[in-house]
Formats: sequence, C-alpha cells, structure tokens
Amino acid sequence: MAKLLMEQLTKTYDNKAKAVENFNLTVEDEEFIVFVGPSGCGKSTTLRMIAGLEDISSGTFSIDGKKMNEVEPKDRDIAMVFQNYALYPHMTVYENMAFSLKLKKMPKAEIKERVRNAAEILGLMDYLNRKPKALSGGQRQRVALGRAIVRDAKLFLMDEPLSNLDSKLRVQMRTEISKLHQRLKTTTIYVTHDQTEAMTMATRIVIMKDGVIQQVGTPKEVYDQPDNVFVAGFIGSPAMNFFNGRIEGNYFVMGQTKLLIPDSALPNGLDNLEVIIGLRPEHITHKPDKDQSTVEVNLDVVELMGSEYMVYATLEGRSFVGRVDANLNLSAGTVFAMAFEMDKARFFDPTTEKRIK
Amino acid sequence: MRTKDFAYWLFLAPVLIALTLVVVVPMLLGVYYSFTSWNGITTGEFVGFQNYIDLLKDERFLDSLWFTTKFSVVSVILINFIGLSLALIVTSRIKSSNLLRTTFFMPNLIGGLILGFIWQFIFIKVFASVGEMVGMESLQVWLSTTETGFWGLVILMSWQMAGYIMVIYIAYLQGLPKELLEASEIDGASSFQRFRYIVFPLVAPAFTVSMFLTLSNTFKLYDQNLSLTGGGPYNSTEMVAMEIFNTAFVQNTFAYAQAKAIIFFVIVAIVALFQVYWNKRREVEM
Ligand SMILES: Nc1ncnc2c1ncn2[C@@H]1O[C@H](COP(=O)(O)OP(=O)(O)OP(=O)(O)O)[C@@H](O)[C@H]1O
Ligand SMILES: [Mg+2]
Repeated sequence: MAKLLMEQLTKTYDNKAKAVENFNLTVEDEEFIVFVGPSGCGKSTTLRMIAGLEDISSGTFSIDGKKMNEVEPKDRDIAMVFQNYALYPHMTVYENMAFSLKLKKMPKAEIKERVRNAAEILGLMDYLNRKPKALSGGQRQRVALGRAIVRDAKLFLMDEPLSNLDSKLRVQMRTEISKLHQRLKTTTIYVTHDQTEAMTMATRIVIMKDGVIQQVGTPKEVYDQPDNVFVAGFIGSPAMNFFNGRIEGNYFVMGQTKLLIPDSALPNGLDNLEVIIGLRPEHITHKPDKDQSTVEVNLDVVELMGSEYMVYATLEGRSFVGRVDANLNLSAGTVFAMAFEMDKARFFDPTTEKRIK
Repeated sequence: MRTKDFAYWLFLAPVLIALTLVVVVPMLLGVYYSFTSWNGITTGEFVGFQNYIDLLKDERFLDSLWFTTKFSVVSVILINFIGLSLALIVTSRIKSSNLLRTTFFMPNLIGGLILGFIWQFIFIKVFASVGEMVGMESLQVWLSTTETGFWGLVILMSWQMAGYIMVIYIAYLQGLPKELLEASEIDGASSFQRFRYIVFPLVAPAFTVSMFLTLSNTFKLYDQNLSLTGGGPYNSTEMVAMEIFNTAFVQNTFAYAQAKAIIFFVIVAIVALFQVYWNKRREVEM
C-alpha cells in the first residue's frame, strides 16, 4: 500500500543529455499507472529512479511522505519485474521465488506457504523444481511475476514485462496481470511502448516523449481529450488522422475540399486561422445520406478485418484511414463517399501542436 | 570418398606429425626408459619395476612430493582468493580501476627466475633490515628455515599469479548480467549476500579454469624454486620438478628420474582431471 510523489524528477546521464526532465506525478494507493512512449523517451530511466537503481539527479521522490532519494533499493520495499525476467539461473523456480523471503529470515514454513500460494495463482505448481532454462518464455515471465508477488511489497514496478512474448501469450498475460492487480491491489507502475497494453491495463496513463511528460490521464481521457498532436497520434490504433487547413466561417477548408463543422464542435475564435484537425478512423466512415461533410475519395487500399473494412484513401494529397462496415462491398481503386464526422474532430494549433479547446 | 579421406588426413598431417614427434614418441620412449638403467650415455639394461620400487623408498623424493603438495594447496587457495578479491575491487565503481588492473597484472610479465632473485633480495635484505630496525628476530631469518622458505615461495607465487588469475575472474564478473545483480538488490540482498548467493555461484566456471591453471603451475614450479631458495636449506624446500631435475642431471641417474617424472605426470593428471570434473558439476548454464 503506497502513495507516491514525484516532484521535478530529473535525470542527467554522464553525457549531459537529460533523459528525464521535470517529471511530476502523484500516484494514489492501489493505482495501476502505465508509462508509455516511444523508445528512448525515458520510461525505464524514470522507473529505475523509483526503484533506486539509478541516482536521481535532481528533484524528490517519496513514498508515503517519506523521502526516498538516498534510500537503498533493498530498503525501499519495492518489487520489480525486469524486461528479460532476470531469473537467477542457478536456482530452481521455488528458490527464485523464495530468495527475497529467505534474505528476510522468514521462517521456512511461511516461505513455503507464500511461494505455494503464488505458484498456485500463476499456475506454476508443476514447475517449482525446475531451473529457469527449462521453462518457456511465458513460464519464465510468470516466475518473474511470482518472485514479485511473494514479497508482498508496497509497490510493483514492471519494465516491459511482456515484450519478449508472442502476441497471443502477451494478450493472455496482460489479462493475468490485470486480474492479479484487482486481487492484490498493490500500487503498480508498468512501463510499455505498446499503447494497447497501456489502454487496457491502466487506471491512469502517463505519456512521455523525449524525457518530458506529455499528458497524464485515464485511458478514456487521453483517447478522447488528447492534449497535443503527439498524444493524439500515439494513442489509438490505427492512429488518428491529421489534416492541415484553415477555418473559414463554419467550414474547415483544405485545398478544394470544404467540410462543415457543427457549431457545437467548433472552438471560438478560430475564424480565418490555420489549424490541424484530428479525426480518428472510426469517425471517417460511411453514411447513407450525403451531406456537407461527405467527400468522394479514391480508395487506395481496402483491408477486410472481419466485421469492418480499414479503408486507406487520399484527400488533398494527405493519406488517411477510415473504418467502414463490412456489409458494404468495397474494393481498392474505386471511388467512394466517405463521411467525415466533424463533430468528433479535435483541433490543434499548427505551431505549438497543442489542442485548442 | 577416397579423395575426401586423403584430403582429410592431409589437413591433419602437420599437427599429427608434430604431435607425434614432440609428444607421443618422447612420452613412449620415456615410459620405456623408466624401466631401464639408462644413465644418459648408455641405454642400460631392462630392470623391470626396480626404479619404481626404489622411488617409493626414496625419502628425498617423497619429501619433495609432500612439500609440493602442501605448497600447491596453500598457493591455489591463496592465489584464487587474492585474484578474486582483486577482480572484485577493480570491477567495482572505483575511479582508478584501469590503472589498478595494469598494476596487478604486471608481476606476471616478469620472468620466474628474475622474480625469484627480486624476492630473494626482499626477503633476505629488506626483511632483515626492517627486522633489525623494529627489533623483530623473526624477520631476520627469512629463507634460512624450511618454514620461511615455504612461505617465501607461497608469497612469491601469489604475487606473480594473482594478477593473472584476476584477469580471468574479471572476464567472468563482467559477463554477469547486470539485471541479475539489480534484481537481487531489489530482492533485498546486502552486498555481501549478493556476492554469496548470486555472484559466487555464477562465477563457478572461472574457478574451473583458474584452479586448473594455478594447480598445474604450482605443481610444476621450477624457476622460482631455483632462484628463490635453490631447494635449501638442506633440500627441505625442494619441489618435485627440481628434485627430478637433480636426480637426472646432478646424479646422472636418468632412468630413475624418468620413473619419477612418470609418477609425477600421473599425479598431476589425476589431480587436474579430478578437479575439472568436480568443478564442472557445480557450474550453471546461463
Ligand atoms: N546509462 C546511460 N548513459 C547515458 N545515457 C543513457 C543511459 N541509459 C539511458 N540513456 C539515455 O536516456 C534516454 C532514455 O532512456 P530509457 O532507457 O529510459 O528509454 P526508454 O523509454 O525506456 O526506451 P525503451 O522503450 O527503448 O526501453 C535515452 O536517450 C538513452 O539513450
Ligand atoms: Mg526501457
């Protein structure tokens, strides 16, 4: 049970580059926080500062009001799952999980019970006497999780724990970790660069880029109300479509194309200004009746996903993706009327790339 | 098929010929000579196991064997202990670790004979002067007793080989995955516990290599023995290699020396193979 407070956390490595800058975050007890962002954005660095494996260059980090900057990792009461599992190769599964308890001088009987409990939850009962090298990737992953949960630590840290697994196992382990969190309620910080993992597991998502937090919010908030172009484009798959143009009256104008924006959706004071609008693929679709937001486009590629088509097309030299019901018969190379649901559009300032509300 | 066979043997030939000429033939000849009364000039007659029976009663030989064994056990432990300690020091985050590495390795670059004379000077002259200054009798008699001769050899050997063994340990220590150490840190291990439960078991392969090298080096020691103590006092610090040399070239009983050499070879081989087998069993595959 832990409440974390990170204030102005900054990490400067020897090469003077700032890996993390002014990181501010409060994590409430029982939260499942996901750090997400492209490679090299400083997720691992932040996590390692929390774990104490990396010195904090400036700023403070505290757990339950107690400053942690100078506290050794072993005294922070944190459990961590590493990307490549980091299982001790010379110990059996049982010994791997029991190691931290043994160091705490816990009675043998209690260690046994705890390890068995964890093994039961994770389906590892049959493997307790094996060495890690005799396990599959998924099993190793579960041992790594087991090693963390027997600890009963205040805080779980996980650095891309699923990135080495195949896609099916990844989905399965994802739900297992979520279930585990619902059951144990331990405060968790989870690092990934996979936005799907972030969206499905997090109570709140922290999106980072170049060492700086871009936005913090629930999955729904960051999906519906992205603060800037980066967040809008990073969250969601396929990514949000962006169009550069200008507002003229109630219209978004881009080359020869004019799209009507409903009054309620258009922020004030944008008349005659350049903007970027963002539309998610599900908001570029097909409508039976044509209106002032329908545009005829040439279909470049059509992918049938089962219940719907992913439609790739070009409008005014910009390619975009839309989603259309699979009941319609579509094929590439044909002309098709796509409806742009402009009431769902998000508006961004072209220079700052921030969202205009 | 036939041409392939021919090419196969052709490629092997240089090594096979060289190996046969310099290892196999002398070895077999040696075994043969050990059953004769060869004295280096005339081949002598076949004497059966007489040489082997004699050497079992040869106190000078048995003493040197016992001295060598004691010396090897103590040196192997000390060299590995010092080597691993040095490796741990220079792989920790201290500043001058590169300079230290070089310094620790340097003694190994000096030849054994010279090293022996250097240490002889230290033990006899420097120790004595220091002993005189602080009034310690025990420092003034170095190398003149069996006891001090023994420890003199141990110190010399450790000083020379520890840096070499250190390099082997460094290689293994640096090959340890960083995450394992971090994981153990997070699991709550103190630095001693980390060493005891993680580092030590995982550098086990290094023990196999290092023990093999130190064992064979200490068992076969000759140069340092010659230059430091010369076997004295009264042959009490004479090691097997030197004893065999003396038997052959001082007493001119070549066949007898050859029999000793064969016994020596068998002992070294058994010890070395046994320790490799024993250490291998404890190793872990990553
Ligand atoms: N030990 C180090 N010394 C110098 N720079 C480092 C070090 N470790 C990381 N960096 C730099 O810090 C930045 C952040 O690295 P970090 O490992 O936190 O990224 P990440 O978000 O975890 O990326 P990934 O998704 O690839 O794991 C990168 O630009 C990286 O090059
Ligand atoms: Mg990382």
